[in-house]
Amino acid sequence: MSPQPLATPAIPAAADSLDAGALAQAIAGGHLSAREALDASMACIEQTDQRVNAFTARTWARAAAEADAVDARRARGEVLPPLAGVPYAIKNLFDVEGEVTLAGSKVNRAHPPASVDAFLVQRMQAAGAVLVGALNMDEFAYGFTTENTHYGPCRNPHDLDRTAGGSSGGSGAAVAAGQVPITLGSDTNGSIRVPASLCGVWGLKPTFGRLSRRGSYPFVHSIDHLGPFADSIEGLALAYDALQGTDPLDPACHADRVEPTVGDLDRGVDGLRIGVLGGYFHDHATAPAREAAKAAAVVLGAVDVVEWPDPALARAAAFIISAAEGGSLHLQELRAQADDFEPLSVDRFIAGALQPADWYLKAQRFRRLYRDRVQALFQQWDLLLAPATPVSAPLIGTEWLDINGQRQPCRPSLGLLTQPISFAGNPVVTAPTWPAGTGGMPLGVQVIAMPWREDLALRAARVLQQAGMAFLKPADL
Amino acid sequence: MPLQMNDIPILEYVKVSAILMGLPIDEARALRVAEHLQRTAAMARLLEQAALEVSDEPAEIYRLPRPPASARDEDR
Repeated sequence: MSPQPLATPAIPAAADSLDAGALAQAIAGGHLSAREALDASMACIEQTDQRVNAFTARTWARAAAEADAVDARRARGEVLPPLAGVPYAIKNLFDVEGEVTLAGSKVNRAHPPASVDAFLVQRMQAAGAVLVGALNMDEFAYGFTTENTHYGPCRNPHDLDRTAGGSSGGSGAAVAAGQVPITLGSDTNGSIRVPASLCGVWGLKPTFGRLSRRGSYPFVHSIDHLGPFADSIEGLALAYDALQGTDPLDPACHADRVEPTVGDLDRGVDGLRIGVLGGYFHDHATAPAREAAKAAAVVLGAVDVVEWPDPALARAAAFIISAAEGGSLHLQELRAQADDFEPLSVDRFIAGALQPADWYLKAQRFRRLYRDRVQALFQQWDLLLAPATPVSAPLIGTEWLDINGQRQPCRPSLGLLTQPISFAGNPVVTAPTWPAGTGGMPLGVQVIAMPWREDLALRAARVLQQAGMAFLKPADL
Repeated sequence: MPLQMNDIPILEYVKVSAILMGLPIDEARALRVAEHLQRTAAMARLLEQAALEVSDEPAEIYRLPRPPASARDEDR
């Protein structure tokens, strides 16, 4: 199926007023050069990032070379690849040739620079995208708030006193601030969906095993996912399609084909069986979060409330596995330089390293049963909806949340609604919605599909965007 | 939740197992780690509710690739 044309922008258009899809179209059509798009992105970063703190590195020499290469190809009359000239940035756990892969840490500063780009960075380059820099994150991806002591907290562009979420906080904030239209992040327990929800941008956590993780710094080998953020559903689909590819060199990449989605975005949701998650996902959501999911359900024609199997057990198992694998991965550095770790997570890493083997093995054995139960649910449903976070963005430094009268520790609780889903491995699009009762802050909705059917989640998300209920708001920076 | 007197076994567990794992931790850190481990222990107790049979294997971590057809032929 041929790709569906995206909206054609006004001619000529200012780069900073176009979303990712329109920007790609403008560059391909010669209405804007890649260098002009890059200049607009760099100017925005210069103007806003002292306040937002999304970027930890700027790769502007590389960006200029990549943008100029795109403009040269267009001048020669070549057909440009789908993201030609579109600026993007990556969570700083992706390898970038010549840069040290920090993964949000201080201890990694001693590592040598990466010798080659991560697989997904290579894919973005092949699609013509222009890499402008690396982004802030929780140290080693262990957190939901990007309160990073080494590099400073990443701030929410819609309220600089509030968290951008995490662990891919810089990836969410950079898109929300209009610095770049597309970013890449990682999601083990919610680290794409939480910042997408709190920053009000689109995010996609693909099926576990869909995208190659080669050249990214791991957190939890058995649960880590990588995926894109974007300023529109078209941009999200374009990025996702560009990132797809088989990779026999990554033992965790189980994709055996590329399945493009952009051409199917406008197929709508007629005939799809869509439900709304109740029970745990209702009980752990505040009123605005419930309202967000309910409003999305109305737009998508979903009326049935569905019970997800064993969400509390799944969260417990994901919690145990994350701690154990994270603690084991960093054991050597914890022995030698624990004081150089992030104070907010170092003790959790150590606790993880000391967990009894029985806890970890039970969690992995449960995971197999859980996967089968969840996938049985998708015999009856094509898509399920749930809030992405229990609350909108908390103030930076918040220790405790009140969730329906229950006092919960803030940082881990931001993942209450995402953790059970990623533990099953299903693909999820997070749609940026703006419910009442949040003081004007966003709160996302998860659109959850059966494994390997990212296309269905993207189609439903497109309906939410077209209905005007999921969209980005410009940040007043 | 701060550790209580009856949580001393967790604190002792942390100190002893940290020695076993070669992790040098002082008293203050041991206390903080014990608090985290106590939280994880509650998660582990929750997971005890899962009705696991002996035959329930762990989820896959990796898949073995199939050898190419020609290699299989040579083996025969």
